[in-house]
Amino acid sequence: MSIDGFETEVHAWGRRLAERLPHGARNPAALAERRMMRVMIGDPRLRAALFRFVDVRPACRDRGELVRHLHEYLEEASAGANGSGTARRLSGLIGRRPFELPTASAAALGVASMSRRFIAGEDAAAAATELTSLWQRGRCVTLDLLGEATLTEAEGDVYAMRCADTLNVLARVSAAWQPQPLLEHDGLGRLPRANLSVKVSALTPHLRANAPVRALEAARERLLMLLRLARDSGAHLHIDMESLDTRQSITELVLELLGTPEFEHGPSAGIVLQGYLTDSEEELERLLGWLRERPRSAPFTIRLVKGAYWDHEVVMAAQNGWESPVFTDRRSCDRHYEHLARRLLDARAEGLKLRPAIASHNLRSLAHALAYSDRLGLEPEAIELQVLRGLGDDTAAAITATGRRVRVYCPVGDLVAGMAYLVRRLLENTSNDSFLAAQTTGAVLDLLLEKP
Amino acid sequence: MSTESTFRNEPLLEFRRESVRAQALRALDELREKLPLRIAGSGEGELISTNPANPAELIAITSDSSRDTADAAVERATAAFVGWSALEAQERAAVLQRAAGLMRERRQELAALAVLEAGKPWAEADGDVCEAIDFLEYYAAGVIALEQGRPLVQLPGERNTLRYFPRGVAAVIAPWNFPLAIPTGMVAAALGTGNTVVFKPAEQTPACGHAVVEALHSAGVPADALALLTGRDEPAKALVAHPKVHMIAFTGSVAAGLSILRTAAEQAPGQHHIKRVIAEMGGKNCVIVDADADLDDAVPAIIKSAFGFAGQKCSAASRVLVHRDIADALNERLAGAIETLRVGPAEDFASDLSAVIDEEATARIGSFLAGAEHEPRATAAVPGDDGHYVVPTLFVDLPGDSRIINEEVFGPVLSSERVESVEAALALIESGTYGLTGGLFSRSPSTIDMVSRRGVVGNLYVNREITGAMVGRQPFGGGRLSGTGPKAGGPDYLLQFVEARSVSENTVRHGLVI
Repeated sequence: MSIDGFETEVHAWGRRLAERLPHGARNPAALAERRMMRVMIGDPRLRAALFRFVDVRPACRDRGELVRHLHEYLEEASAGANGSGTARRLSGLIGRRPFELPTASAAALGVASMSRRFIAGEDAAAAATELTSLWQRGRCVTLDLLGEATLTEAEGDVYAMRCADTLNVLARVSAAWQPQPLLEHDGLGRLPRANLSVKVSALTPHLRANAPVRALEAARERLLMLLRLARDSGAHLHIDMESLDTRQSITELVLELLGTPEFEHGPSAGIVLQGYLTDSEEELERLLGWLRERPRSAPFTIRLVKGAYWDHEVVMAAQNGWESPVFTDRRSCDRHYEHLARRLLDARAEGLKLRPAIASHNLRSLAHALAYSDRLGLEPEAIELQVLRGLGDDTAAAITATGRRVRVYCPVGDLVAGMAYLVRRLLENTSNDSFLAAQTTGAVLDLLLEKP
Repeated sequence: MSTESTFRNEPLLEFRRESVRAQALRALDELREKLPLRIAGSGEGELISTNPANPAELIAITSDSSRDTADAAVERATAAFVGWSALEAQERAAVLQRAAGLMRERRQELAALAVLEAGKPWAEADGDVCEAIDFLEYYAAGVIALEQGRPLVQLPGERNTLRYFPRGVAAVIAPWNFPLAIPTGMVAAALGTGNTVVFKPAEQTPACGHAVVEALHSAGVPADALALLTGRDEPAKALVAHPKVHMIAFTGSVAAGLSILRTAAEQAPGQHHIKRVIAEMGGKNCVIVDADADLDDAVPAIIKSAFGFAGQKCSAASRVLVHRDIADALNERLAGAIETLRVGPAEDFASDLSAVIDEEATARIGSFLAGAEHEPRATAAVPGDDGHYVVPTLFVDLPGDSRIINEEVFGPVLSSERVESVEAALALIESGTYGLTGGLFSRSPSTIDMVSRRGVVGNLYVNREITGAMVGRQPFGGGRLSGTGPKAGGPDYLLQFVEARSVSENTVRHGLVI
């Protein structure tokens, strides 16, 4: 089949997904939000002010403090000749006494309602109804426990215990779910219903960029405990990837533990590959090499993401004088992502016990992976797609409607914990490079599906 | 183009990559093969340096210079001044740049030397090398810019110029804590502007001092225009009192700095000038944490500022002033974070902090700890070997007159006090004597603005660690008892090393402007 022929299939998949996107226009809340996103995309200074407010919100003791901070951010955003007019109007409004408290309350409520869209609940138990509802609608989930940074051993213990509790709650809640064959089986066997994503940086305060050995020692016991619990309760444990500073620690720790005889037959586990890293192909080859050398009977999932620490990596590199470890050009990044997706699917087709998971909100990237999977002749269950709760809800609905498996990444946690996450998601959502922003502003489908 | 638009800091080694760490460890092994280094000197007695983490390991053997050696070096530098100061600024700048290149070629080896001789953990040792290179490059550019003089008001019939000239012989007296960067900065500024230099490195780090001099000599500085004077106090005192020394650039303790200022103010027989003293001294650096701070950011930044290089930086944080509303939460997390610190040899990448410089330092810091009014809130474990290790310690709510709160400890000791407000914290800082660095954690633009205006420090850091000033980005130095106030690595620093001369020429002849 020719390359052009393949592009035709990618576009066909893209259209199939796009046609199945729900019409958000019918929902007034979604409409209002879309309007707000458009305003923020066009007004970076207002956007900065609102992000800073979202960020400080949990640290404000009372409404007076809320008002003061909001007012100061808006004033800053409206200062100067190129200040934001919207920020100036809002700031003037807050400056007037009768409006102060109502505005602060509305702003606080706004933040809370926004955060509810991204965060499924305070903990797994609180999110149970939502998880069950997603399952009934044909979508599986993975839970992510938001929290403050782990800076002490006690905080590492608390996080590990929260993970253990979550695994237990997930096992109990998911036991009552109706069978969903697409979500529970693929050619490699059973797919656990309970699925938890963990962060090594939350398990230990000993992650050191210059000394991976520190985390290997310090996180081992807690991760061992979670792997055993996942194995015994039949859950999937996914180890998230974070900034490049921690990649070596995380990868070595996970591969070392999973390589021990104790975990040969379980649990189902996985790791993350960040496509925005320029050396991510070497990293993938390393993971595939490990899979070939150490054949576990339990399948291994590799979740391919673009990567969520782009600004951090670029800033760190610039301040230290290093070459950027991430692609700085969107098209090269997207192209590389597609390349990695093909390598993953090739490896599955080759017969490795590998479950490729394609996590993206980019319709083109998803369509590309689906078309390639079809082209290799893989069965429909062989590929999993993943989206974030709140950002990828429409995409998830469309994927489900095409009869493919989609997993929704659901963060849970309290307001304080959720803010950093929320800010990151909002920034992602309204940045100029964002696929979702392009979608929001009404870009033409063919452009969105263009080959990067 | 201005220096600010062209200068870029030397990239740090990317130690997060395994191959880069392996290369550094190889350089350390190679250096070890050559130990002890023998540094030629004309002094009589012997001076040795050792590894702070393993005092039995000899790093360098050199001589302990006497007053006579110092006098002779000043005489030679005086003679060399004629030729060196006559060079074009461009030529002197080129020499500095060549020295930067030579240090760049020996990056790993120089960092390894700082690891072994000063007990600096790798990242900080490498930072020291980079800063040395930065000073050379930044001042080289500054020397060329300074040569242009400054624009003046010009009227018909006169030509007015303002140009800068070197002072003469500069004595550079350097500390051990930035054993490469600080001497390189002071020496480069003096040489670049046309002065000749007699350089006395700290007695603990003669090999690092020698490495700086070696790079500059190899780059083209004549031997007599830059003399290395290893030794203890005697040669430094002789330099300060010498009638032919024109300026003294010093970085070190307050006591030594004030003593230098006093001595330098005396006119020695045969002295025809006022000595200029640049003194960078201590600090008692505070970090204010307001109620709206993000503790996820504040705690690691405070830990790094207080315990990096075992607190042996003049910029190190030693006092936290935290808003009472979040004091308990902050103290709890600081305590837990300190307990996770790993203390060990600097050469081990897994060490967060290493031994302090010498036995005198362990005794001095020990006396602070022994005199504490109550038990520490938290400590970290230290190795039980012969290294000069000090237990990293956090005290909470010490009484206001505690020595630990009021004096510079220069070690891994942090105290945390609760305050009513940011204003109250500022008042506490103002009532102290120092003014070097300070930190603020706040998410309120108006609070940040207020502290920026009212804080009495030379370097204020907002929502970040308070150490690690970068050349050209965070010009470094404080006022009050922290120093005479020049900003190292900033646009004004070189002015300290020159005298300005204004020339006004009458251009009217026979009633005509020519």
